[in-house]
Amino acid sequence: MPREIDISNIERNFILEALQQGVRVDGRSLDQFRSLELEFGDEYGTVTTRLGKTRVHVQISAEVTKPLEDRQFDGIFTITTELSPIASAAYEVGRQTEQEVILSRTLEKAVRRSRAIDTESLCIISGAKCWSIRADVHVLDSDGGLIDCSCVAIVAALRHFRRPDVSVDGENVTIYTMAERVPVPLSIMHNPVCITFSFYHGGDTIVLDATRSEEQVRETSATFTVNDFELCQVSKMGGSPIDAVVLLKCINTALAKGKEINGIVAKKLAEDSTKRDVGGLIAELRAENER
Amino acid sequence: MPLDTLSTYSQTLLRQDGRRWNELRRITASISTQPASDGSSLLTLGNTMVLCTVTGPREGRGQRDNKNALVETDIHVASFATMDRRRRVRADKRIQELQSTISSAFQSHLFTHLYPRSTISISLHVLSLDGGLLVACLNATSLALVDAGVPMPSILSAVTCGVIVPTEDSKAKPEPLLDLNTAEEQELAYLSIATVSGGEGAEDKVSVLMMESRVEIATGSGKIEAMLATGVDGCREVRRKMEDVVRKHGAKVMMGLR
Repeated sequence: MPREIDISNIERNFILEALQQGVRVDGRSLDQFRSLELEFGDEYGTVTTRLGKTRVHVQISAEVTKPLEDRQFDGIFTITTELSPIASAAYEVGRQTEQEVILSRTLEKAVRRSRAIDTESLCIISGAKCWSIRADVHVLDSDGGLIDCSCVAIVAALRHFRRPDVSVDGENVTIYTMAERVPVPLSIMHNPVCITFSFYHGGDTIVLDATRSEEQVRETSATFTVNDFELCQVSKMGGSPIDAVVLLKCINTALAKGKEINGIVAKKLAEDSTKRDVGGLIAELRAENER
Repeated sequence: MPLDTLSTYSQTLLRQDGRRWNELRRITASISTQPASDGSSLLTLGNTMVLCTVTGPREGRGQRDNKNALVETDIHVASFATMDRRRRVRADKRIQELQSTISSAFQSHLFTHLYPRSTISISLHVLSLDGGLLVACLNATSLALVDAGVPMPSILSAVTCGVIVPTEDSKAKPEPLLDLNTAEEQELAYLSIATVSGGEGAEDKVSVLMMESRVEIATGSGKIEAMLATGVDGCREVRRKMEDVVRKHGAKVMMGLR
């Protein structure tokens, strides 16, 4: 089966020695993220996120379906991730590797189980019709930081997405096209951001946003999901043991970095909104005006 | 549910099942329960019951590592483990995540370099489930590996820990709760924590930390700190109980030999 290309002993020792001296191979400081870029597509809910050399594309789609039996007042929200050989030669089509399960589960816990979307607002007729939101995550390039990049991409895409407007008349549901009515944004409760820490030298060296080489060399990692004031999810799945006090410091660092990243996403969304507002005519079209 | 923890806890400081905040559920464990395997254990944590068997170190099939033994885990949750009987799909991602967590935790915890080119297979069967699934699996696996004679620096012990936030006063001191059952897990924010002993005089270190709930941290209320501190103390208590089980079994074996 295909495997990740192993790192050589010389490169491994070089990276570890450099980290011991507080230096990273690509020149970043230990707590610095790679540059985060967001590109929104023409369609609503399409975003390509770039974190250094890691690239993730997310597409949000919506359709009307029947709600689950035990949750008749909730819509359905699913996240689909698939690692394909386009991202790295180590991935194989169809076969689910351990990394794919970890990526899928972490994103599920970070975004869906922490209720980033208000699924109750996706209900059209309870027990009969509801919206089913689907987030398809495509990893285009993999150079470490896959969980962080994917989570930012999903949240940005959800905030960018617009679903068609519906009206309900008794049991009849009318879905209007984009040309008939202005589409409706999703109800976002909070914006989770995944921050992954890598630990070296028994926890003495902590690195943020490791590249692929640094990921291969690390002893263990911990992923924290934060929004502006809450810790939503923690995943430290084994690996070398770390002091609890060190983990608490990581949580505080993750909180600060999460605010930074959410600021970047908000700025990019505002830019995209301005770009769609051709000629600035939305201000002229506003119906609610102050006296 | 007829009673919820929040409504009565503030008056009586007793939980739904009568425990206080830092009391564990009853833990009973046996080792060497399956003679056919190299190591086995049966752990009961309250109403959660887990059977663990360990095979190996033995020759691995397929992939092999020339420097370390490989640890692989298989978890089966019986359809009758919960109140409602349901068919469990084998490709459940949640179970696969637990398997990865247990394999990764013990891969770095055991002295695997003593058994190069071999495999240690861990098989877990959940017979009854009432909260603390990952925690019970980790504890049962630790005991089974001790029974198998696989060397490790100390027993890896795990516990769940939650926190109660009084809704009327968000500035109140956080109330941690130790070792939650299913009803409490569904109601409160909680985390699962596994620690290993740090050696003579050193503090315990965290090997596994999993949390799926949202906990406020920005206002400095100390909820996460309270949960972590209570969890680490609870792990120490669980380790003490597991060590007692091993000692009793060892004494029995010595008596049998004599």
